[in-house]
Amino acid sequence: MIELLAQTGLNAIYGASYISLVAVGLVLIFGVMGVVNFAHGELFMAGAYVVVALYAERFVPFFIAVAAGLIFVGLLGLLMERSLFRPLRDNPLGGLVASIGFLMILQSLAVMGFGVRMEHIPPVTQEVIEFSDRVRLPVARLYVILAAVVMLSLLSYFLKRTRFGWALRASAQDPQAAALQGISVNATAKIAMFIGAGFAGLAGALSAPLVSVTPHMGHSIIVTAFIVIIVGGIGSLEGAVLASVIYAVVHTFVTTFYDGVLADITGLALMLLVLIVKPTGLFGTANRA
Amino acid sequence: MDWMAFRRSFSRRTFLRSSAVAAMGAALPKFSLAAGDTIKIGFLAPLTGPVAAWGAPGLDGCRIWAERVNAEGGIKLADGNYQVEFVAYDDEYDPAKARTGATKLIREDGVSFVMMLGGDTWPGAQPVAERTGMLFSTLLPSDLSPDTTTLIAPSEVHPIYVVTGVDWLAQNRPELSTAVMCAQDDSLGLPSVATYLAAFEAAGIEMQGEPLLFDPSTTDFAPIVTRLLSTNPDIVCLDTCYSDYVHPICEQLFQQGFKGQIISATADFYDQLIAKTSKEFMEGFIFQFPDFDDPALNADNINFPDANGFYDEYSKRHPGQWGAVSWEYAAIMDLWKAAAEKAGTVEPEAVLAAMQEDGKGRHAFGEAVWWGEELFGINNALVGDWPVVMIEDGKAVIKEFRSIPDWYDKHSDLLIKHMEAYGQMWSQRS
Repeated sequence: MIELLAQTGLNAIYGASYISLVAVGLVLIFGVMGVVNFAHGELFMAGAYVVVALYAERFVPFFIAVAAGLIFVGLLGLLMERSLFRPLRDNPLGGLVASIGFLMILQSLAVMGFGVRMEHIPPVTQEVIEFSDRVRLPVARLYVILAAVVMLSLLSYFLKRTRFGWALRASAQDPQAAALQGISVNATAKIAMFIGAGFAGLAGALSAPLVSVTPHMGHSIIVTAFIVIIVGGIGSLEGAVLASVIYAVVHTFVTTFYDGVLADITGLALMLLVLIVKPTGLFGTANRA
Repeated sequence: MDWMAFRRSFSRRTFLRSSAVAAMGAALPKFSLAAGDTIKIGFLAPLTGPVAAWGAPGLDGCRIWAERVNAEGGIKLADGNYQVEFVAYDDEYDPAKARTGATKLIREDGVSFVMMLGGDTWPGAQPVAERTGMLFSTLLPSDLSPDTTTLIAPSEVHPIYVVTGVDWLAQNRPELSTAVMCAQDDSLGLPSVATYLAAFEAAGIEMQGEPLLFDPSTTDFAPIVTRLLSTNPDIVCLDTCYSDYVHPICEQLFQQGFKGQIISATADFYDQLIAKTSKEFMEGFIFQFPDFDDPALNADNINFPDANGFYDEYSKRHPGQWGAVSWEYAAIMDLWKAAAEKAGTVEPEAVLAAMQEDGKGRHAFGEAVWWGEELFGINNALVGDWPVVMIEDGKAVIKEFRSIPDWYDKHSDLLIKHMEAYGQMWSQRS
């Protein structure tokens, strides 16, 4: 039983890692730009397909492919900001609808470019860290965990200790006041979008060898991300990370000890519970709810 | 002309009745062929989406089959020879699309026979089949019921064939005594779960817990595999998981250190599975679908013509794409062609009667019987022997052919029990 709990815990830590990268990206975009990016799951998918195109098909070293995934998807984010969200800045609902359209475009492009079959990606490494006979952590999953820790730490430092970070936080708190202080709304939006999209792309790129890569793989991750940001508090980065951990632990343990369908239901029930008890989420505030 | 007499004889009621008859006649499919026509066969299966591995390769195989048949003069009916071609419709494993596709294939394309994967899509096509009387085939006998007499399952006998793998395993590896199982929660997975449970019980292999049913949208299988391995089973059964699930599950089994026996209905693209795990890990993996370059398919009892040559041609055109269904739809076409030539027509009722004459048929893997009344309510499944395949030194090898009817004669009560428990008997389906 101890080994089962430990292995399940390791599975949950991996789940929390990639979910937090996606969820934090989504929160950042919403926090700064006030728009719900429904195409965020497809940005995750796009990062995975960069790895397919470079690592699986062209034998580019994996970590270079991952870096390319982060940058490519970050640039996709900039494209979305410039072409979709900036023109619709005064119309959040319009931005949401536009993101749904972009979601379909990305899916269609993936189908056209790669087909709809699951991509078979060679393993990055087959090394496994063995804590015991039944408690094992594949090194490929460790990469995801380490990337999440490093990138989230860097983001935290960036937001708290750099001028660009302060500008982002100011824009998220009060865009008009920030503009009056000379902070460029467009510049902060671009930074937020690049980082937010880049995080989703990074999560997808790192996860590509570990999950089924298909053009529709973004669907389940966006649902998870929405649950997480609602539980954590819309607009709260700390809440997104904590909620990612809570969700991943609950989902993984329920899947392991009961079944995956019940785990999905439990996740939704958790979201409903938070909405009823604390509608702003664990770390959310009223003005961001 | 006496206009008043005409009006008296041709009342409004007569007009409406005549119009209705004419309309019905126009709506019904036409089964007669004119000289020079090509016989069109409908291919209604998922060509895209997560289940495409059980549709698209079959169409590729059919096209090779059509070329071979046409090169030999085509299909010989009573009134001449006809070339054959396939008209495909991608139902994306969606019942609504299957209904649309069936209607289009029959009414617009004028097909003489429709082949389907079946499963979740059959309920969509079933009303069309019943309304038109068209002959349909499915790879899944679990679709059969007395409601649709023109649905046949003459090739794959999913999930019944899985009993042969378990039976062989129990006889050849008697030291394996415990098993766990997982499956996607859908109409492909559930009847297979029931059949594997019956097979394990018949073999005296203990199931360690209920089968683990997962949501088809699952992408991370680590928690599922952790759960499967928690009781330290001898055997992990992957049921009829889609190829998109078999691969990540096997990778997780490898990464979580499983060293026991794996059994699965399918192992599509097993060469990629070996690349992702290791040759040693995949050694002894048991499944049910051979590569057709296997020398065992040259035996006299095999009814698939030039199996090795077919495999070579397929592999040349579609390298690395050979899968479970690459040959199955073509095997159905062999049966249909023989029956149509025997009947001298493509008319569905006549073809079906010719196919089922004497209650026997020439299945790809040998002589077989039209079977299934107890399980499916109708004897429309062609059932005989089925191969047990094992991966040895990185290659799929047929270990033995085993008789499904023989297994059923001994253990039918177990199969019915488990089918009923999972609501998979024909009388339980809505």
